[in-house]
Formats: sequence, structure tokens, C-alpha cells
Amino acid sequence: MRKTVSYVLVLAGAAVMLLPFVAALGNSLKSFAQYIQVPPAWLPDPVQWDNYAEVWRRTPFGLYLVNSLVIAVLAVAGNVLTSAMVGHSLARMRLPGKQALLTMALGTMMLPTVITIVPNFLLFRSLGWLDSMLPLIVPYWLATPIGIFLMRQTFLGIPKDFEEAAGLDGANPWQVFWRIHLPLAKPALATLAVFTFTTSWKAVLEPTIYLTSPENYTLPVGVLSLKGQFVGNDQLVTAAAMMSLLPMLIVFVLAQRYFVRGTMSAGLKG
Amino acid sequence: MTVLTRRSGQVAAGPRPPARRRRSGERAWAFAFASPYLLHLVALAAWPLLASLFFSMTEYDLMSPPRFVGFGNFTRLFGDPVFWRTLGNTAYFAVLFVPAQTALALALAVALNQRLRGMALFRAAYFVPVVSSWVVVAYVADAVFNPQTGIANQVLGLLGLPAENWLQDPALVIPTLAAVAVWKGVGYMAVLFLAGLQAIPEERYEAAKIDGASAWNRFRYITLPGISGTTFLVLVLTSIETLQSFEQVFVMTDGGPHGASELTVLYLYRQGFQFFQMGYASAVAWVLFVLVLALTLVQFRLQRRWVHYA
Repeated sequence: MRKTVSYVLVLAGAAVMLLPFVAALGNSLKSFAQYIQVPPAWLPDPVQWDNYAEVWRRTPFGLYLVNSLVIAVLAVAGNVLTSAMVGHSLARMRLPGKQALLTMALGTMMLPTVITIVPNFLLFRSLGWLDSMLPLIVPYWLATPIGIFLMRQTFLGIPKDFEEAAGLDGANPWQVFWRIHLPLAKPALATLAVFTFTTSWKAVLEPTIYLTSPENYTLPVGVLSLKGQFVGNDQLVTAAAMMSLLPMLIVFVLAQRYFVRGTMSAGLKG
Repeated sequence: MTVLTRRSGQVAAGPRPPARRRRSGERAWAFAFASPYLLHLVALAAWPLLASLFFSMTEYDLMSPPRFVGFGNFTRLFGDPVFWRTLGNTAYFAVLFVPAQTALALALAVALNQRLRGMALFRAAYFVPVVSSWVVVAYVADAVFNPQTGIANQVLGLLGLPAENWLQDPALVIPTLAAVAVWKGVGYMAVLFLAGLQAIPEERYEAAKIDGASAWNRFRYITLPGISGTTFLVLVLTSIETLQSFEQVFVMTDGGPHGASELTVLYLYRQGFQFFQMGYASAVAWVLFVLVLALTLVQFRLQRRWVHYA
């Protein structure tokens, strides 16, 4: 009985989650006349697949896609590597001031982004990095607090025996980290990777502030700029938005369990 | 990396006892491993905090060097009715959004925790908005709340109710934004709650059942206290984020209509990156920072009254 109620509620909720996407997908396949028709048409008829082709024909959509992918992949690589290194030093190495560093990591996790917007812009401006991908990538190469906590937790859980066996062979700490600990931490690394990919892929504020030339735009900023180009033809912008979601959806479907695990570990941290 | 390795080599050459030598070598390695975060602390934490405090007391338009004006920006800020209105808008948005999302996420988590069949599929449905950017969500929301072509007015029409202007209505824009934000974020928060629920030992429920406790009483006296820690965390995180909400309004309304949805961070963005008043924008950032900090401290203080750690 209780299960039935839960079933109905969860199902209704899932419909509320997905129906708007279906409606937007429908909009993206309408002709302009159908899109502005009142009362609105529920389903596109005929289905205008050409909207998607038109976005590719008339906009640098492919360029936005490549920019987003390059930035996301480099951000992921940087965050996974450096957060694992820092997490390792906090979990397994003789680091003086370890406790202070942990406290500061917790502090920076709570540090509101609002305080960093202007100073970071000025910092990257003085480095000559404006209108480049660097401000969107380099911060991830300096480790993120959430990544550090996740990796520290993971490395704390790996038994010491592995390390000692390797230490006897005269391996240096980097080799211990790279050959023994990293491979054992694969699920956590995957979790951090999908988390970072999502954050980078979704970002609107930072690319808006740092990127000025259209050829450097990422997908969110690029799609947003199409509003001006396709004045009123929002069915085309909707098509572009739907396409910008697709790579994210693919990553999500392939790595769903890591998304859930990542969210849960973020929650358990506090 | 190479620098530090070389330094540890030098130490090894010195006339020190082997144990100590090994220890300082280990330390050098540890610092090398921690170095990305040490740089992070300097460049991405200490610098922004100090720099924004400094710039908040200057006038800086990026062209001429910053000019010190003391608390001038703050005096101007506190006398600016637009700033106060953005704070009011932000508070209104938070008051609608935070409790609604928390309650719905909890309900959803309880339902999802019943080990239903096809659970993974449901969870996926709730996560699609979570992984979507606000730009995607803006067009998805347009399919619902567009006054002419959206589903929402269609549904109201079927129920015999008058159509609404949603995001174009100054009185409805913030409630509509809050509803969309709940829709986008509820899946993420539900998974946080799910983690908390699964940490409650099953035996407690078994024992309560044997004692004849009703479903509601089990929820009230086992589930709620059991997840109070998670609830606290969710509340702290969402309030911090909500006070800094920017992308949603930037993409969906640009603060309109007539500033009715201009939130404080959008105001900051405009002052800094459209009018290039970096000093004034920094002052806005500091006021908001202090507010976020105060709210977090209050929540930590209140926590003692209602959070039970098992």
C-alpha cells in the first residue's frame, strides 16, 4: 500500500521533471509559424528536423562545442590529478601543518564565489589571460576543496600494507602514489571526473566574464548569444540548447552511478 | 617537482643521521604533493579576500589606477535604493525557494528509499535538470511558462483559470523563478537526503514496528531526527548558494521586468562588468559576503537546538 503511494508520487514527479524537456524538444522541431501559433500546437507537424541543420549552417556551433569539450577535458584532467595529489599528501604523507591545511580547505569550500569574481578577473587580466581558455582551466589545476576531501577520504581507506610492500622495493613517493594508490582509487577518480565535467560544462558566469570573442565562446555562452542572431526565432535557439545538452546527457547516462556517488559523498563530508 | 627533488638530494648529502634525513625527504615530497593547493590558497583564496577588501575602498574603472576613497563605496551603497531592492528580491527568492526545495527533496528521498523497482530510472529523471546548464533550463522553462505558447497557461485554461504572464509579471516573476529553481535542484538535494536516510539503522524501524508505532510516528520520531544532520547541511548549502544566485536570473529574465527579479549578484555583475566600477562592485561583494557569513553562523548556532547526531 505504502509502496503504491510512493510509486505514484515518484512517477508523477518524474513526469513533472521530464515533460518540460519533451515540450522544449517539441518546440525545437516546430517551424516558426507553428512555434508562435496561438493556441499552441502540442506536437510539431510537420517535424522540422531542418532547425538543427540550420543551427549548424548559420552559427559556429561546432566551434562552441569544441571549446566546451577542450575546456571540460582539461579541467577534469587538472582537477583529478592535483586533487588526488593533495588528498594523498593529507592522507598518507608526513605533511607539517596537515590539520591547518584541512581546516583551510573547509574554509575555502565555504568561501562564497561572490567575493572572488572581481579579484579573480583582475588577476587573470594582469596575467593577460582574458578572452582565453586559461581562466576556465587553470583554477582546476590548483585542486578543488571538494576534490581534496573526496580523495583524502579515499586514500585513508586504503590499507597500509600495499604501501609498505612497494616502499621496500625502493620506490619513491611519486611511484607509490602513481602505481599503487591511484589505481586503487579509480571509483573516486571517476566520481570527481564526472563532477568536474558537469561543473565545467554548465558554467555560465565565468565564461561570460572571461570570453569576449565569439570564436572563444563555450556552448552556454554561445547558445545565449544566438538569441540576438535569431531574433524571435526561439525554436532555433531551443534546438541549439537541446544540442548543447546532448554531450552532457551522454556522459550522464554512461556514468550515472558516479553522479549519485559524488552527490552522496559531497553530503557525507559535512 | 624537480626543484624539490633536487633539494631533498642535497639534504641527503649532508652529515645527518639517516632517520632524520629520511624524514626531511618525506616532508619535501609531501610539500610537493600539496603544492597545488598551497598555490590555490594564495591565488584563489587569500588574494581574492584581501584584494576585494582593498578594492572595495577604491574607485577603479580599469583605465586609471585605483583611487582610495575610504568607505565612500559603502556609504553610496547603503544609500542606493536599487541595492536595497536587490537584497529584498534575493531574500524573497530565498524564502520561497529554500523551504520548498528542502521539503520536496525530503519527501522525494523518502519515496525513493522504498527500494522501488526501476528506481535507477526514476533517479535519472530527477537528475536531468540537475546536469543541465541554466541556458538549457531557460528554454525548457520557456516551453512551460511562455505566456503565449507555454504549457502552464494551457493547463490553467483547461481548469478554467485565467492565463498568467509568469516571468513577465513583476508580482509573479520571483515565485516562478523559485519554482523553476526547485524543479532544477530537487533531484540533487533528494540524493543528499537519500544518503542520510540510508545511514539510519534498519533495526530502529523494526523495533518501532514491534512497539506498534504508526508510519507517521516512525517518520516523526526516527526518520526526522535521523536525518537532522543532513537537513542542516542542505539548509546551510542552499542558503549560501541562494544568496549568490546569479546565472538563473542572468539567463532567464536579466533582472526584469522593471528590476523585479534583479538579485544582488546580478547587480554586482552589472556594476563591475558592464559599468566597470570594480571598487563599487567589490563593496557589494563584501556586504553580501558578510551576510552569507552571518547567516551561516546563525544556522550553526541554531543547529544545537534541533540537530541530533546519533
